[in-house]
Amino acid sequence: MEYMSKTIEEIHEALKNGEVTVKELIEESLKKSHELQDKCNAFVTIMDEAKEVEVTDNLLSGIPYGVKDNYSTKGILTTGSSNTLKDYVPFFNATAIENLDKAGAVKVNKTVMDEFGMGGTGTTGHTGIVLNPWDTTRICAGSSSGSAAAVAAGVYPYALGTDTGDSIRKPAAYCGIVGYKPTYGMISRYGVFPFASSLDHCGVLARTVKDAAIVVDNMKGIDKNDMTSWDSSNINLYESIENNPKGKKLCYVKELCDISNYPNADSELKAHLENFHKTIEKCKELGMEVEEVSVDRTLLNASYSVYVVIHSAEASSNMSNLTGIIFGPRGEGKNYIDMMKDHRTNGFSPLIKRRFVIGSYVLQKENKERYFNNAQRARRLLVDTWKKLFETYDAVISPVGIGPAKKLEDLNKVYDTNTIALDEQLQIGNFGGFPSITIPNGFVNELPVGINITGNCYDDVNVLSIAYSLESNMEYKNQIAKEVYRG
Amino acid sequence: MKKFTQEMVVSYADKLLIGLKEDEVEMVLSEFEAIDKEIDLINEIPNIESVEPMTHCLDDFEYVLREDIVEESVDIDELLQNCDSKLDREVKVPKVVE
Amino acid sequence: MDKYKVLIGLEMHCEISETNTKVFSGAANTFNDTPNANIRPVDMGFPGTLPVVNKEAVRKALMASIALNCSQPEYLYFERKNYYYPDLPKGFQITQETKPAPIGIYGELTYECNDELKTVRINNIHLEEDAASTDHHTVYSTIDYNRAGVPLLELVTYPDFHSADEAVSFLEAMRSIYRYAAISEADSRKGQIRCDVNVSIMDAALDETDENNWGTKVEIKNVNSFSGVRDAINYEIERQIELKETNKYDEMEQQTRRWDEASMSTIYMRSKVDAIDYKYFVEPNIPKFKIDPNWIEEIKKDIPMFALQRKEMYVRDYNLSSYDATVLVKEKAVSDYFEETIKLGANPKSSANWLTSVILGHLNKYDLDIKDIFLTPQMLVDLMKLIESGKISSKQGKEVLYKVLDDKKEPAIIVKELGLEQIGDEDTIRPIVISIIDEHLDLIEEYRKGRNVFDFFVGQVMKQTRGKANPSLTAKIIKEEIEKR
Repeated sequence: MEYMSKTIEEIHEALKNGEVTVKELIEESLKKSHELQDKCNAFVTIMDEAKEVEVTDNLLSGIPYGVKDNYSTKGILTTGSSNTLKDYVPFFNATAIENLDKAGAVKVNKTVMDEFGMGGTGTTGHTGIVLNPWDTTRICAGSSSGSAAAVAAGVYPYALGTDTGDSIRKPAAYCGIVGYKPTYGMISRYGVFPFASSLDHCGVLARTVKDAAIVVDNMKGIDKNDMTSWDSSNINLYESIENNPKGKKLCYVKELCDISNYPNADSELKAHLENFHKTIEKCKELGMEVEEVSVDRTLLNASYSVYVVIHSAEASSNMSNLTGIIFGPRGEGKNYIDMMKDHRTNGFSPLIKRRFVIGSYVLQKENKERYFNNAQRARRLLVDTWKKLFETYDAVISPVGIGPAKKLEDLNKVYDTNTIALDEQLQIGNFGGFPSITIPNGFVNELPVGINITGNCYDDVNVLSIAYSLESNMEYKNQIAKEVYRG
Repeated sequence: MKKFTQEMVVSYADKLLIGLKEDEVEMVLSEFEAIDKEIDLINEIPNIESVEPMTHCLDDFEYVLREDIVEESVDIDELLQNCDSKLDREVKVPKVVE
Repeated sequence: MDKYKVLIGLEMHCEISETNTKVFSGAANTFNDTPNANIRPVDMGFPGTLPVVNKEAVRKALMASIALNCSQPEYLYFERKNYYYPDLPKGFQITQETKPAPIGIYGELTYECNDELKTVRINNIHLEEDAASTDHHTVYSTIDYNRAGVPLLELVTYPDFHSADEAVSFLEAMRSIYRYAAISEADSRKGQIRCDVNVSIMDAALDETDENNWGTKVEIKNVNSFSGVRDAINYEIERQIELKETNKYDEMEQQTRRWDEASMSTIYMRSKVDAIDYKYFVEPNIPKFKIDPNWIEEIKKDIPMFALQRKEMYVRDYNLSSYDATVLVKEKAVSDYFEETIKLGANPKSSANWLTSVILGHLNKYDLDIKDIFLTPQMLVDLMKLIESGKISSKQGKEVLYKVLDDKKEPAIIVKELGLEQIGDEDTIRPIVISIIDEHLDLIEEYRKGRNVFDFFVGQVMKQTRGKANPSLTAKIIKEEIEKR
């Protein structure tokens, strides 16, 4: 009997009944970890020494889970998938990990990511490329690549992710699972390696909306170590998600979702958008109202640059502590500057270094107004536009990406620039700190695709109950990756 | 005139204490060009300069400041366990000259 | 010399030493001889750690802002100043810039220089974190992060000083303010104060209110004592005048120099052209904080009257000499002590006398703080009353005072122990006087012939009373008794 492909409630039930023990669950999860590692390279560390815990009434107690390798785990290697921290062992836990420890959750591995969360392909981690368990010629997207692959492959019911642009929600879609990033600050970022602090969110990858709710309920909470965290003790996602969404009002953005925007659309994009509109119909069947809205195209088109300018600037500063002086491998050189430079030149992957240069440029005194300040201004305009939508609508619904997972060999392919705004639009959820969830809504070319539901800040319950209702009325709930690679 | 030149890229990288290979420099230049075009569009948004830059993710946010209460210092072994060069309780570096 | 006018501006860094914890972490803000013993993870920049703002540090910074008559911002923001240095673990310093506004902007301070009142304009004052300290050895350096994250106030003046005297007087005034408001010990020997000085000279005939007439600004970094500030300014003025006189001034570029204590000279570091771009941006991990105007009002109530204002009051209201007033306000504790004695009914002038002539000397001699001595303001007032009422002489008072300080006993007890209490009642003295006169009736005759016999009689009374008889009362009774004969 396999348990790791079940839902949290089912596994908890089995533990409570004595049908299975924590030890057996850990063994099963570790075995699957090793199998997936051989196939997809999803893990930096597999914790073969993971210890049993007592089963309590907490739904997560005794159940294995995975941790993205940018969450500090006390006494356990935490690399951010970077050579700059390839041997770094934190002496403290991230607050979210501390909270899950208290819940009795059992971490069994640390998952590969794009280096420090930068990049959306799962190809920049220092331990190599993460492959998609549905089709190993394709990527998982990123940056929570290993977490997405492992949850989709049934290694455990959930894994932790972080999301700065769409790093939970894009890989979730590519792997046919659920990816949820709650409102900014609902989960403390303390102990999580920063990428771009004003955009970074903690969250979870799971196979059902309810599982995602259970996990975030246990991760969240105000934290004295994170000034941007807030008190959400009055919110219980698990107990609230079965709210009937009948009468809820959704909208989708015409400039993103209408096929007429993409005269050169390939068959995957066409199928993806068709499938999206089928899901819209499904929403209507469930009693929700869905309307098409129009948003300023200039703003939408600028969104990706806004994202690059802001995250590059913040990242270049956030990662200035990575010098190999106090931690990380000490570089070689006669003086401290040469040592730092050696450490950084050899430690960072090319993508990060390129973004650092851009980040540095846009912050220079003579450039800051034109680039950085204006990007922050455009960010506000985009956020205000979405907030305006939330005055009328409960949530914005959209397709995730421009189709299913991309092929590794196509990574450098130049895509139709018309599609950038669609491909990158989930970043608006990070600009505004909005609660945002991706759920699977079908297949294109036998590969999973997803839709996203994003609501106003602090309105997580609403977003999750809409997602839960949709999920319950589609047949993609708790799906495990079936390898479809036709090599 | 080109806004962003090879020399500039190299000099910025140097200030960030990173070295770039030649092809990496070229990539930065092309990435930057794309961004610069988009920024042109942002600059064309009417009255963009009157918008307050959004510096934080949530700006409707209220919080309290930390009370001035001492927390225990971290154990020295833990502080230096990831340090490759130390001397007694301190981090060691080649002589720093101003 | 009078051909030129000197413009000097200061950047004064002062650690806030009077908080329990650092500005962005809960690590202790105390000097610790053991390296790396006051550390929370954020102080060494460990990945994922976040700054958390100390309320008390903000409160003290607001106090300084108010004391400098600056405006306080509606919202508190912090910014990152990005650069690489081994003593900067995060690779950036969390500080404040002028936009958004720092904790204080556009103020002014009146200070005293050589008995004259002067005013300097303050551009801004901001709250930031200190860097780690580095020890230099023969071929390597070691880094101690205890100081990393200690709250630091940096204030920036306009170039309103015209001499080293003015600049140093201002620094002394600031040190006094920091101490009076319990913001900082402001002890440069402990490295708590560090200054950057900028100096330029211009032709005296030109109008200094027009910035176009200003000379080339030379910044001198890291001057760590007040005497260093004085010497560095004077050296730099000489150097620049020399350049003017030899027609080389116009070639001088805007530059940064450093003060070298050993050679007593300033040494070229870098040109303005090579200035580092710190790539400031707002710290996203510290949400903007609304400063409640009610909080500012509360803080204002907690700010004491400062030395300069106290001194003016002592001279004006208590008729003290400027010298004595200056001595009394030098330390707030002494000034508070003085004011307490007045509240308890002491005569300000005699209280000031006792303090300046006896008590401060005692403090100096034994290196004591006025809070550490046994003599309370109440005791001093009691002692002064014993003297005023004639119970003891002022000479005896001094003796009692020293005994109080040494033996740590109340004045009344000391007076008793020494048997000093004067005999001040007529009923005791008169019989003694009568009996002495009775024994020396011959002297009454002499008296009538015009001889001065008072001193003899007084001497005899003192002999009999072992010096305790009140001299003036004794004299009065003797006179009366002689007249009666």
